Amino acid sequence: MLQSYHHHPSSYRDPSGFIFEKGGLLYRQVNKIFKEDFDHFINSGCYEAFVKKGFLIPHETTGENLTGTEEYYKTLKPETVPFISYAYEWSFNMLKDAALLTLQLLKEAVGFGLILKDATPYNIQWHRGKLIFIDSLSFEKYNEQEPWIAYRQFCESFLSPLLLMHYSKQPLQQLQLAYPEGIPLAVTRSLLPRRSQFSLHTYLHIHLHARVSSKNNTNSSQQNKFSKQKLLNLVSSLETLIHKLKLPAQKSTWSEYYDEASQRNDYLEQKKQLIQQWAGSLTHIKTAADLGANDGVFSKLLAEQNIFTVATDFDPLCINNLYAEIKENNQQYLQPLVIDLSNPSPAIGVNNTERLSFISRTKVDLAMALAVIHHLAIGKNIPLEKIASFFNQLGNYLIIEFVPKDDEKIQFMLKSKEDIYTHYTEENFELAFVKHFTIQNKQKVGSSGRTLYLMKRNG
Amino acid sequence: MMMMYLLYIDPGSGSYLVQVIAAAVLGVAFFFKNIKLYIKSLFFRSPKKPKDNPPA
Repeated sequence: MLQSYHHHPSSYRDPSGFIFEKGGLLYRQVNKIFKEDFDHFINSGCYEAFVKKGFLIPHETTGENLTGTEEYYKTLKPETVPFISYAYEWSFNMLKDAALLTLQLLKEAVGFGLILKDATPYNIQWHRGKLIFIDSLSFEKYNEQEPWIAYRQFCESFLSPLLLMHYSKQPLQQLQLAYPEGIPLAVTRSLLPRRSQFSLHTYLHIHLHARVSSKNNTNSSQQNKFSKQKLLNLVSSLETLIHKLKLPAQKSTWSEYYDEASQRNDYLEQKKQLIQQWAGSLTHIKTAADLGANDGVFSKLLAEQNIFTVATDFDPLCINNLYAEIKENNQQYLQPLVIDLSNPSPAIGVNNTERLSFISRTKVDLAMALAVIHHLAIGKNIPLEKIASFFNQLGNYLIIEFVPKDDEKIQFMLKSKEDIYTHYTEENFELAFVKHFTIQNKQKVGSSGRTLYLMKRNG
Repeated sequence: MMMMYLLYIDPGSGSYLVQVIAAAVLGVAFFFKNIKLYIKSLFFRSPKKPKDNPPA
């Protein structure tokens, strides 16, 4: 009797196969219909080459039909990705690298007689310190006379947000969230400045593309023959364009935060010591989330102890800088992510189960919220009880810093708004948190007046 | 029939046509770019190989 399996809610589009969960493990089934293409992908050496280069997630093949379905051809057991993230949580350079990886895969697959049949950032995930392609069913046999089927998808889900961020000089993760299947070409075209048309590559891939797409011309497309060289020219053009796109070099809100903070006595050093000590004392900690990580100074302390740490901040520039640093130092235990704690990513897609909310994905051993509470309580007017219940959903342990109201940062915030925060006291903070947590340790940090807490979730 | 079945994403009306047009334009553009690079290479020793140059 076969055990039941759970078909992954986001794996329904492609008839080639699907992701499912069984016995707490994640598998990918290859369906019979995709047999020929999948065999070619493996036998041509394409799979091995991509895994060797670190482009593609490795998998093991199990001989069993675990789902008991008739469509079964093979069951794959891919290496586990510790934390699923989505493109609307990535910084600019993360999306840019994901786009370049997609094009690289396409280019190299052609050499093996294969082509990428889809081009979505959801096929890319963070694994061992970098972005990696996870869908081993995305490669099908290449017919040189056919253009690239995923061209529009690529332009909408990678090129559009990158171009819009490049030209507007604004982080637009929220726009990506609004268009989870890619920003429509017509929308991108209307939002881009007119001067963008003078770039040949932008003109072809966005402006002309949007204009031609708006007309109904399905018949003519069938008669045009394509070629490998034409495809490679197209890829080359996309690459040239994407390489040129960048965010303006500007200082983020917090980029000087630590320079300034470190001047305050030995605040930073003491804080580091306490965190190292506490995290070290909790031996069974394997995963962590540093919420409001800034440039990741404290996330790195956890990562150095081989604790897989998701470092989040609402400032995309901070996360972009952290990403650059992780890339350079090949830090395997750190994953940067753009998250606004007052509005974490919601559950979206079909039945709202396709892409999970940040809270439902973040189930870690240790949550850390350093110098964040005042931004939520005073900056966003969120009651302490709500903040406590938010952290309660994330981690078994919590390291949290309380910033008193007379702190210069809060005083600065209160210069521009009325002090209606009489409730914001250390006593009320503790009262709100002990409803969910037990305070295990509590230390003042230097002469800053700030207090660091180590808490354990009740029950 | 199978190919049609596996076409699970919508390539978008016009996307094929745009690729044909873009490829033609790019073919010309890259042709001249290569000539330019070739001429440059005659005057400057060991020029950097452009990363994004399409394969010949």
